[in-house]
This record gives sequence, structure tokens and C-alpha cells, in this order.
Amino acid sequence: MRELRGKIRLVGTLIVCLFIGLGAWYGMTVYSQGSVWASNPYNQRSSGSTAHMGDISDRDGNLLAHTAADGTREYMPNENVRRALSQTVGDQMGMSGTGVENYYSSTLLNISGSLVDRLRSAFSGAERVGGSIQLTIDAELTSYIASAFPDGKKGAVCVINYRTGEVLSWVSMPNYDPVDLLDGRADDNVEDTAYLNRCLQGLYTPGSTFKIVTLAAALEADPNALNQRFTCSGSWDYEGGKIVCAGGAVHGELDLRTALAESCNVTFGKLAYQLGAERLRATAERFGLNENLKFGDFMIYNSAFPVSARNVGGLVWAGVGQGEVLVTPMHMAMIAGSVANGGMMMKPVLVKRIENSLGIATHTGAPSLYRQVTSASVADVITQSMYQAVRSGTASKAAIPGYTVCGKTGSAETSDDKSVATNAWFAGFVADPEHPYAVAVVVERGGAGGTVAAPIAQKALKKAIEVIG
Amino acid sequence: MRRASVENMRKALMRSNTRLLLSAVMLFQFSAMLLIAFQERPYDAQALILAAAIPAATWLVTMLFGKIWPVDRAIVILAMLLCSVGVITLSDIARAKSTPMTQAIYAAVGVGAMAFGIAFIRGLKSWKRLVAPAMVLCLLALLSPWVLGKWQYGARNWIVLVQDRLTIQPSEFMKPALILILAAGFSGRPRFLKCVPTIAFAALCCGVLLSQRDLGALLLYFLTTVLMYFAATSNWVVTIGGLGLGGAAAVIAYRAFPYVQTRVAIWKNPWIDPLESGHQIVQALIAIGSGGLFGMGLGLGRPRNIPLYHSDFIFAAIAEEFGLVFSICLLAIYVLVILRGMVVAMNARTSFHSLAAFGIVAMLGLQTMLIVGGNTKLIPLTGVTLPLVSAGGSSLVSTFLSFGILLGISSLNAEDEAKDIERMELREEVFS
Repeated sequence: MRELRGKIRLVGTLIVCLFIGLGAWYGMTVYSQGSVWASNPYNQRSSGSTAHMGDISDRDGNLLAHTAADGTREYMPNENVRRALSQTVGDQMGMSGTGVENYYSSTLLNISGSLVDRLRSAFSGAERVGGSIQLTIDAELTSYIASAFPDGKKGAVCVINYRTGEVLSWVSMPNYDPVDLLDGRADDNVEDTAYLNRCLQGLYTPGSTFKIVTLAAALEADPNALNQRFTCSGSWDYEGGKIVCAGGAVHGELDLRTALAESCNVTFGKLAYQLGAERLRATAERFGLNENLKFGDFMIYNSAFPVSARNVGGLVWAGVGQGEVLVTPMHMAMIAGSVANGGMMMKPVLVKRIENSLGIATHTGAPSLYRQVTSASVADVITQSMYQAVRSGTASKAAIPGYTVCGKTGSAETSDDKSVATNAWFAGFVADPEHPYAVAVVVERGGAGGTVAAPIAQKALKKAIEVIG
Repeated sequence: MRRASVENMRKALMRSNTRLLLSAVMLFQFSAMLLIAFQERPYDAQALILAAAIPAATWLVTMLFGKIWPVDRAIVILAMLLCSVGVITLSDIARAKSTPMTQAIYAAVGVGAMAFGIAFIRGLKSWKRLVAPAMVLCLLALLSPWVLGKWQYGARNWIVLVQDRLTIQPSEFMKPALILILAAGFSGRPRFLKCVPTIAFAALCCGVLLSQRDLGALLLYFLTTVLMYFAATSNWVVTIGGLGLGGAAAVIAYRAFPYVQTRVAIWKNPWIDPLESGHQIVQALIAIGSGGLFGMGLGLGRPRNIPLYHSDFIFAAIAEEFGLVFSICLLAIYVLVILRGMVVAMNARTSFHSLAAFGIVAMLGLQTMLIVGGNTKLIPLTGVTLPLVSAGGSSLVSTFLSFGILLGISSLNAEDEAKDIERMELREEVFS
């Protein structure tokens, strides 16, 4: 009997320990994952009348979404504005999973509200009122950019403030009308990729815009690289392949600044070859590639840089942003912004302010450094090169009279033959502490970055200076 | 004179221990049901009746059972508390008004079963010759769904007594029987060979359950058998061998049966298919997440979005309505019952009683962990009930019956202890 008691005690202790483990695991997962589960698009609680969903407004306080007295959710009256902001604001069905309506549903519904709030509403019998969110987005700028985007084309435009990290505009084409959803599934009124926010979820081959990173790697490895002269004869045969400059251009003898301004593939291919895969990858990863870009306000799909270049060709093409390199437009805007900001990449901010139902601010978006991605001196040289590209190089269509615009174009190949038009890219910024705006533009199958993407970027930056200051 | 004072002290101690607990539980039951009653305008009559009836029943059962038999009142109170959490949750969330009422009626039947359990174990003087017929009856009952039952939710473990009115799950009712048979077979520190018939019986039961695809019950039967065998014989080799065999069988089952593979795949990543196969668990997790720390509040959540919110997923529904804190407290209540039950098992005078109490407590613990773990995606979901809380008559009545057996053993312990004290006092009087 004594042994039996001993074993009962042993098994009893084991069961109690298992319970403690179960409780701990349960508590931990709910604590860490609970709000993620609750903000899942399949959570239909947000469409119910259990709470009055809070307002969403833009940086100037214009209402983007609010709940009417009868409980229906209303968006902006103008359809074009509504559509331009569709993926950013989201919708009641949760079709755009990254939209604020969805990603912040627990705040807007006050699901995670304090105990005091709940007790108050329980005793007063009043409907629980959710918090309201003010975004850093500018509605006027966003709808303007959407209207300036080439008709019928797909793509994305991101405008950020590179000194504060604030997102000023996200435009993702095609878009949809949040008040005209037929049901929870794909409907015929909407193109199937319209729900995607391409700024965050579109992984594109960056093409020549990636030369910014390659140049940074070269300058970091050798500060004297600027004095080095390269010779471009239009093409270069590396071991096992050949790299050519776009449009059959022959750039002759040139230094790195001019190579960036003229977007010389041969020079940057050679540069990547000199650097080697390891150093190029180290710099790319410091700029945030191969990293979980999960921020407090939203998350960006992971940009990718090949972990190990399989052969020389992979390395050479990675140096000009082709091959297996993938970047999202938002990330590219952050890369351009970090160059403008002396190498300091700021943590992106989408939410300017959250107020609870009593109008008390519970959260204010404050600028914070994400990472010093490169040194100030390297950033300065890249800025000069990008300025040269706008002044006299491939990006001249981005110039705004009276402002120092810097930029880099890209025309990214998406197929091995030339059967498909290239994706037109532009990444750039205004080099002016008064107007610290960075932009990234992608037009899918748009053609050349200099003629298609650069004018859109120019309009976006000009409008940003005009409406925001 | 002295004996009387000792007895009084003992009684006073018991009373003060349980009185506080009893009042707290009754207060909880009353206030929760009152809240639900006044959520409807002007008021919900059925909930109002339950608001009076549940605390009254709790008080009555605790007092009555305590008066008739010297049972461990704390276990009675905690059992009534768990059962009332079930009725309260169902009153709050169930679509049909009849669901909580049915549950309350089943609870009343369950209390009767509990009394029967106490009387049965107290009256059971010689059990050895009952084992063989009990085994046969038990197997017949487990096999009965093949004649009287039908497939439901991917398992065939129900028998229909009255069409659409009264269905019974034999695997639930056979749980206490299995534990008693195992306790009888394993009592007295037997050698392995003497255990073989009992083990073979348990294996046969598991085989029948496998054929009916009642994976949850199968797992419970298996683990309880192994744990009871281990406690009875302290034989590490056979125990670990048995567990290994079970593990191998699980791997074979995984390979052989597509529905097991589906379950595991859903568990691994339910978010791949949130509308079809992963629907249940995704909705359960969303509900738990929406509940947060303190819950959406009674009547404010929408746990009906979860399929089977009233039975398999009642834990997720409770987490949504009452929140993380309360649901962890619920787990703590189970732990209290287990601790109290283990004390009963350790104080029992014969190995049969000790093993029976141990088996009941172990099965209770395992079952709770299986379903809570399944609800929270810690382990793949197996369809067992949350003991005493989930809707369903068979499970409720059978769990009450198990509790009755446990309480009967506790009352035997208390009587034995009283005899001991008496004897000691006599000895003191003689020697002083």
C-alpha cells in the first residue's frame, strides 16, 4: 500500500504539473497571439453590432471611415477617394487583410479595452464604443497619386516622410470599392488582385533601383572606390555569361557616381563580382532584406536577397537587382529614405494617434530609429549620385524646379526573354529637411523606369510638398 | 468528555472549511444567473428560476450528502460548481432555451447517479466474483452502437433509445465501470501474468472504440489503463512498454487512417483552410483571442460562430465570454478537485478503493487536458467533453456517477479514520 501511495502521489504530481504547463502555455499564447487571432479576417465579430466601431481619419482629420447612427459603416462619399484608399483603410468583410479596419479591429471595437471601460459600459448599459484611429496618410495626396497612375496598369506608389518614418500615401493598383463588395468571396466586380496592398505585399524584382544598395556595399568596403575608373563597352563577359547595358548603351570610361546616374549594368555587375556574394549580402541584409519587417503598425512581406549566389552569374545579376532579388515598394521607399536621412532608416509609422471613446489619446506614433543601415558619409555619396541621375542622368523626368530631387530608376526584367515589358521602377526623395519625402513607384509591365515611373514620382513628390508642406 | 470535544473540533473544522467555499460558489451561481435573467427585457423567467434553483440545489446536495454520509464536502461543492458553470454558459450562449434546461435536468439525474455511486461503492463488499460478468456486460454495451446506433460527427458511438429524444453514449457510461474493473483486476499488487486478463479486456475495449472511431474515448481508456497499472504494480518496464506500444499504434493509425491524418494536419496549420477543414479550430482561436483577458462579458460575445460551441468547444466559448483569467481559474478548479481526489486515493484502506479513486481522478485530469489542449491548439483535437461542463447527458451523468464513487470512497476513509481515533482514545484511556 505504501508503494501504491507513492505512485499515486507521483502520478498526481505529474498531472498537476501538466495542468500548470497547460495553463501557462494557454496564457502565453493568448497573451502573444490573442490579438492576432482576434484580428483575423474570419472574425465576424467586427461586422456585428456588439460595439460601435471607432472612426478612421487621415492626418488632417478627414474622416476615412465611420459608423453611422444606425450601425452601418460608412466611407468617404467620393468613389475615387474611396478606391484610392481601399487597401489602406480596408473594409468590413476583411477582404484586404492588411487594411486598418481589419488589422486594427480590436482597437476600433475596443475588444482589448481596459477593464474600467468595460465595467462602465456594463453598468451604464451603453453600447461599447471603440477607439478612433488617426493615420499618417494624407487622403488628398493619395487620391491625387491614384488619379495620376497610368490607366489600366497595375502597380504601387509609396510616399513616406523619411525623417519621421510616417507613411504619407499608399497607392496600390488595381483597387476596389469597399462599399460595393458582393459577398465574402471573390466577386466579378473586382479584379482578383485588387484586395492586395502591393506596397506591402507586392514582391518585385527591383532592377536597377537596387544599385543603391550595391553602391553602398562598394563604398563601405573601400572608401576610395569613388576614385576607381570603370570601362563600359556595352557588355561584359563573365565566367559563364554576359551582362549588357540597357538599350545597347555604351558608357565608356566612368566613375561610380556617373555609373549610378547612367545606370550602367556593366559597372555594377563588375562591382558585385569584386565585392563577392558575402559582402553584398551583408550590406543588403543591413538594409533589411531577408528580414521579418514586422513593425508595430503593420508588416511588410519579407524582401529577399539570395543567401548564397549559386554561380558568378547569380552574383553579377544580383548586383543590378535582377535574378533572385525581391523587394516590396514600401521597403524600397524606406531604403531610399534611409539614404536621404544620413543612413538612418526610421521605423515606419502608420498610426498617428489612437483615441479612446472619451477622446483621450492612448497611443501616439513617435519617430524612432529602426537601424543605421549605412554611414552618413556613404549615404552622402549615394545622395550626390542620385542627384546626378536626376540632373543629367536616367531619372531626369523626376526633377522638380526649385527642389533638390534625387532618384534612381529601374527597368526590371521579369522574364528571361524580352517578351514581357519590364517593370518600371523609381526610388527617390527630396533632399531637403523642410520637405523630407521619399517615394517608391512600381508600374508592372510599364516599360522603362525613366519614362514611366519617374514622372509619377515627380508628381507625387510635388503634390506632397504642396499639400503637406 | 474528551472524545466528544475532539469530535466537535473535527466537525467544526470541516464546517468552517466548506462553509466559506459553499457561500462563495452559491453567490457566483446566483449573481451569474441573475445577470443572464435581466439581459432580456423585462426578464428571462427560466433563468430567474435557475438563479434560485442552482444555488439551492448546491446547498441542498452538499448538506444532504454530508448529513447522510461523511463524504468530502469540498468535492461535492466543486462538482456542483463545475456543473453550474456549464448551465450558466449554456443559458448565456445556447441558441435554444431548452438546452440549459435540459442540462439542468440531466444534472438532477446526475446528482441521483452520484448518490447511487456513493451507495454502490459503500455496499460493494466482495467484488472479485463480479469482475467477469461485468467485463462481458461492459463489452456488450460498448458494442451496442453497432446494432442500435448511427454515424454522427464521424463516429459511431451513440445508441438511440427514443428516436430524436433520448440518445446515450455507452463509452461514457462504461468509464466508471472500466475503472472499477481495472481496480479490481489490479488490486493486491499482482504479478504481470495475473493482470493479463484485465489488460486484454481493456485492449478489447480500445479495439471496439477504434472500430467506432471514438478516438477521444479510446485515448482516455488507454491512458487510464496504463496509469492505473503503473500505480498498482510499480512495474516500469511494462508501463513504458505499454506506452511505447500505444505510441506505435498511434503512428500506425496515422499512416492507415486518412481521418487521423486530417486531424493532425488541421492541428498543424488550421489557417490554411479556415472555411472548411480548419473552421472549428480557427473559430475557436478567434473566439479565445476576442475574449482577451477579461472576456467579452456575459451575453456580449458571439461564441455561436464556433461549431459545437456547446460541447466540444465549450472551453473556447467560456474563454470568449469570461476571458483568460476566468478560464485559467476553471482549470485551477479542476486541479483542486484532482488534488482532493488524490488525497482520497491515498487515504483509502484497500488497494481496490485506492485504485478506483485514483483511476477516476486520473481520467478526469486526462479528459480535461485533452479537450482544453485541443481547444487551444496545443494538441490535435479529440472529441471528448469538458467534464461536468459540456452539454450532453451521457457525459454529465456518467461523470457524476464517477464522482459518486470517489465520494463513497472518501466517506469510507472518514469512517475508518473516526474508528482509528476512537481506538487511539480507548488506548490512551486504558494506559493513562
